Amino acid sequence: MRIAVSAEGPDVTAQLSHRFGMAPYLIIADTDKEDFEVVPNPGAEAKKGAGVQTVVVAINNNVNVVLTGYASPVIKKHFQDAGIELVTGLGGTVGQVIERYKKGELGRNERKASQVNEAAITASFFVTVKQFFSLLPMMIAVVLLIGLFTAFVSGEALASIFSGNDWLDTLWGACFGSILAGNPISSYIIGGELMEQGISMFAITALIVSWVTVGLVQLPAEITALGRKYALLRNFICFVFAIPVAMLTVFLLNLFTR
Amino acid sequence: MANSIFNLDRIKSFAKSVRLPAGILVIYLILLAVLPEKSIVAFEACGRILKSLIVPFCLVFVVMFLMNLFVKPTQIVRFLGKGAGIKGVILSVAAGIISTGPIYAWYPLLKDLKEKGATNYLVTVFLYNRAVKPFLLPIIIGYFGWIYVVILTIVTVIASVVVGYIVEFLTFEKPLNIRNIEP
Repeated sequence: MRIAVSAEGPDVTAQLSHRFGMAPYLIIADTDKEDFEVVPNPGAEAKKGAGVQTVVVAINNNVNVVLTGYASPVIKKHFQDAGIELVTGLGGTVGQVIERYKKGELGRNERKASQVNEAAITASFFVTVKQFFSLLPMMIAVVLLIGLFTAFVSGEALASIFSGNDWLDTLWGACFGSILAGNPISSYIIGGELMEQGISMFAITALIVSWVTVGLVQLPAEITALGRKYALLRNFICFVFAIPVAMLTVFLLNLFTR
Repeated sequence: MANSIFNLDRIKSFAKSVRLPAGILVIYLILLAVLPEKSIVAFEACGRILKSLIVPFCLVFVVMFLMNLFVKPTQIVRFLGKGAGIKGVILSVAAGIISTGPIYAWYPLLKDLKEKGATNYLVTVFLYNRAVKPFLLPIIIGYFGWIYVVILTIVTVIASVVVGYIVEFLTFEKPLNIRNIEP
């Protein structure tokens, strides 16, 4: 069995690190081989996505159990999905918590199946609430901006951008979608309002497609993670493809709704 | 206390997330004083949009909850590095569709998978299919109708495979042939 412990230092005498995602090290003890290895946590320095990076490290090191002080509902869910047991609320040195776990003092295997299901429902509920409320501020901002847009941007001004030329309008839609970023829900709301203003579905579809597939805002992060050549090419090709995807979608829509 | 509701990081994060809507609300208040007629038009437009979003948003919550409970994107994404042929494509499409959360949270995992042998093709298919969001279906159907959504979803999935092929073709690097290297 492989047990991962979030640690403040690189050996078993170090204190357990309270926050799983921010721990400087993960100490992975192999109870079969009676040894341990130290893995620096790449998430410790990350400003965003730290917890997920640490989860990836744990999963890739084939751990069966994770012992820590605190883990967010999102991290709990990732471990649950991966079939890894997570024990939280712990303190002391790394060696102490491993020994306590091995002696069965940490309550493992005591939970009944019904309790596990109940825990999964509760965890999913809280993850959903968190995701849902994280959507709200941006959604409200988009709605407020559309309100201002409706009040101040005239139909004539909009017509000067979206002229009615399908190809040009689609290109504009793809441009706007590539520059703007955020949850796709914002693109749906903006698209819905543009539809109310009489803008063609070609432009709206290109905006919706490029909103998610092209990410100029996230480009630096994508370059860092996946490489410059890949990130630039992928974004460029996705931008170009937003146009035929929009054209084909609206063509088929007209075909089926005629 | 790290778990406290008054945790400084949480307060900062909350303040950051409401910065934009709060700033726009301030603009509304200024408008109300300077151009009351225009601000009423803007408020009415907001009210109309929010009213139309209430029912779809309730449905979004339910679908999100069910997906969080039953769908496990982390596990599927882990198979991207192992998948090949049609199985790999189907897994990439499925993982892209059911993946949630901001894209930057997925970059470390994708980077790791690439280092372990996942092709640019499958990673691209995954990223492209994030455009299909099942939990947001109530909103997009509410605006554009279900026929449009079905067509857009099918076209997006097909396009993801084509885009994946093109990206793979343009970024493919031949493995170094060590037999041709002089000692």
